[in-house]
Amino acid sequence: MTKRVITKKPEVLSPAGTLEKLKMAIIYGADAVFIGGEAYGLRSRAGNFSYDEMREARAFADEYGAKIYVTANIVAHEGDTEGADEFFQTLKEIGIDAVIVSDPALIEICATAAPGLPIHLSTQASATNYETLNFWKDEGLERIVLAREVGMDEINEMQKHTDVEIEVFIHGAMCISYSGRCVLSNYMSDRDANRGGCSQSCRWKYDIFEMPEPGEKNSHLAGLSEEELEAFSMSSVDMAMIRHIPEIVESGVESLKIEGRMKSIHYVSTVSNVYRAAIDAYCADPDNYVFNQAWEDELWKVAQRELASGFYWGTPTENEQLFGKPRRIPRYQFVGQVLDYDEETQIATIQQRNNFGIGDDIEFYGPGFRHSYETVEQLWDEDGEEIDRARNAMMICKMKVNTPVQKYDMIRKQR
Amino acid sequence: MIELIATAESVEQSKQLIDAGVDYVYVGEDEFGLRLPHSFSLEEIGQVVEIAHAANKKVIVAVNALFHNDRIEKLKDYLTELERLHVDAITTGDPGAVRILQKNEFNLDYIYDAQTLVTNSTQINFWGKRGAIAGVLARELTFEELQELAENVIIPVETLVYGATCIHQSKRKLVQNYFNYVDQEVPESMASRELFLSESNQENHYSIYEDMNGTHVFATDDVNLMTQLDKLVDLGLTQWKLDGIFSPGENFVAIVKLFDEARNHFQNGTWSEEVMHALNAKLHDLHPPHRSLDEGFFLKDPDSIESK
Repeated sequence: MTKRVITKKPEVLSPAGTLEKLKMAIIYGADAVFIGGEAYGLRSRAGNFSYDEMREARAFADEYGAKIYVTANIVAHEGDTEGADEFFQTLKEIGIDAVIVSDPALIEICATAAPGLPIHLSTQASATNYETLNFWKDEGLERIVLAREVGMDEINEMQKHTDVEIEVFIHGAMCISYSGRCVLSNYMSDRDANRGGCSQSCRWKYDIFEMPEPGEKNSHLAGLSEEELEAFSMSSVDMAMIRHIPEIVESGVESLKIEGRMKSIHYVSTVSNVYRAAIDAYCADPDNYVFNQAWEDELWKVAQRELASGFYWGTPTENEQLFGKPRRIPRYQFVGQVLDYDEETQIATIQQRNNFGIGDDIEFYGPGFRHSYETVEQLWDEDGEEIDRARNAMMICKMKVNTPVQKYDMIRKQR
Repeated sequence: MIELIATAESVEQSKQLIDAGVDYVYVGEDEFGLRLPHSFSLEEIGQVVEIAHAANKKVIVAVNALFHNDRIEKLKDYLTELERLHVDAITTGDPGAVRILQKNEFNLDYIYDAQTLVTNSTQINFWGKRGAIAGVLARELTFEELQELAENVIIPVETLVYGATCIHQSKRKLVQNYFNYVDQEVPESMASRELFLSESNQENHYSIYEDMNGTHVFATDDVNLMTQLDKLVDLGLTQWKLDGIFSPGENFVAIVKLFDEARNHFQNGTWSEEVMHALNAKLHDLHPPHRSLDEGFFLKDPDSIESK
């Protein structure tokens, strides 16, 4: 019997808040990235791309055969869509591969103004059944990003009823509501959740009570002892599907999305690297695939919250919400990036990103899930002067390493 | 022409509502509709239709839930039943439901209702071009925004003039999860919809409950636009919706009557400040005493809502 190989791999789709993050996501294995434009997107506080930056991103992505999607997923109010026709036309001219949209108003504007520019339905529209997928397919959409409430059985069922492309989230922070159906932020902090202003009110602490008389609170917190005292909250843990790569790949979905346009270059490179490695390993030899614990350990190095599998295997319980004291997550700091490596002298040239120096145990990681570990014994500045620590932001320094490294490798250390 | 749409909590109440002046009785079943005062069986819906049609009034059924595969599979049969019962229209915000309606050529009109998402005229018109006979406006719209929206829509839109506003829907059991965590039974007040949240140290009271559609959280203040009706009339926003989810029994019927009186004043040209204040005072007396009222987003400055 010949060895089974999966040639149609799902796409690893990474977030890219800035041009630098976009480059690192692609270098670290993303097949595609999603970015924000200067308007119409939901992460207005994330770095967003000007048209010139998009052009530069396009040229860079082309070198790697990577795709670029632009999010335009606000739920527009009257007047917000002004200029959207030109926006979509410009994206098409730049050669953006698709736009991610949730508001039918923007879908219509895009389809009219920039015909041929593929449209993906954002998770913001909460697509949860195959008839909805087929509705949008008939409207000409190329891909649907499923609601995060859809389970694995439901995805498999959808695949029997539709051939529209399906994209699912595999990693990152999650809304605890159906996306788009939460305006807590609008009411609690005058910030529009569906237009990029979400203040994450769900993660706040609340009293929970009855009101037997107007103004009288019969609080359920009052019955709890000091040790038990825990406020009501609606804060979800994050998603990590690294343990379920076989099921995800076998479901035949086209694209696997990593959340986090606001997140750091450390996060983007690490998470892209892990899923690239796992998906490649599975597809190369699915029948002899073995889960590698190092992948999950690596994800914990950039985790902000506990990790779970969302709705894939059923509705999450209290165990998938943040209650009680947060578990201690090992904290790693991104300290530098390799700009150059001289094989003969074994000297690595490094751009500092956080203070590090003599005596520190540091970890190098690079594309292809390469890792090496060094203790900093000697360090020089740009002029070759010996220094004890790289203290200045973005300073160039050099150190000798025992294991070869490469340009674009990153360096982290445990705090 | 001003039209009143009101939720009903029973077959009996739907009769009272019609007597009070509603043009459309709004009912539904929890499996397909969201946040209803009562989950009506098909038999009950049939009775409501009979009562309404005998009075020359119409019935709208809520089909505005977020459907997963299991429920979209049941939807065709449900719509077949609604058609058989001569229901006049449904609300829905699920494009999958629209597809089923169109594919099967049901003799059922639909009103586009995707709750928080219905915030601009281009979107509403998108559905208008795809058969929607009306749209249900999101509650997070200001008068200033409505002015422009009302001018641009090609189908009528419903505006909530009285009732509670849902501000969060999760598929998770957030109340159950919390009480599991603190190792207590879920209080009975959850099922009777008498449980509230407030931000620590604040005087808010957000209603919260769970049902088969997940967890629902509501704004502290229920909407009351009695004092703003002249503006709505000026804009041509004359489909007035009243939601009685937290406003039970005879008092809700009496509140509907107040809006019917208001309508008569507008139609007879007798609307005045004095009339408005009198009706508004009566409304406050009829509103559940532990729930507060305000104009929602209607009077807010759109620029005061940060969207960046």
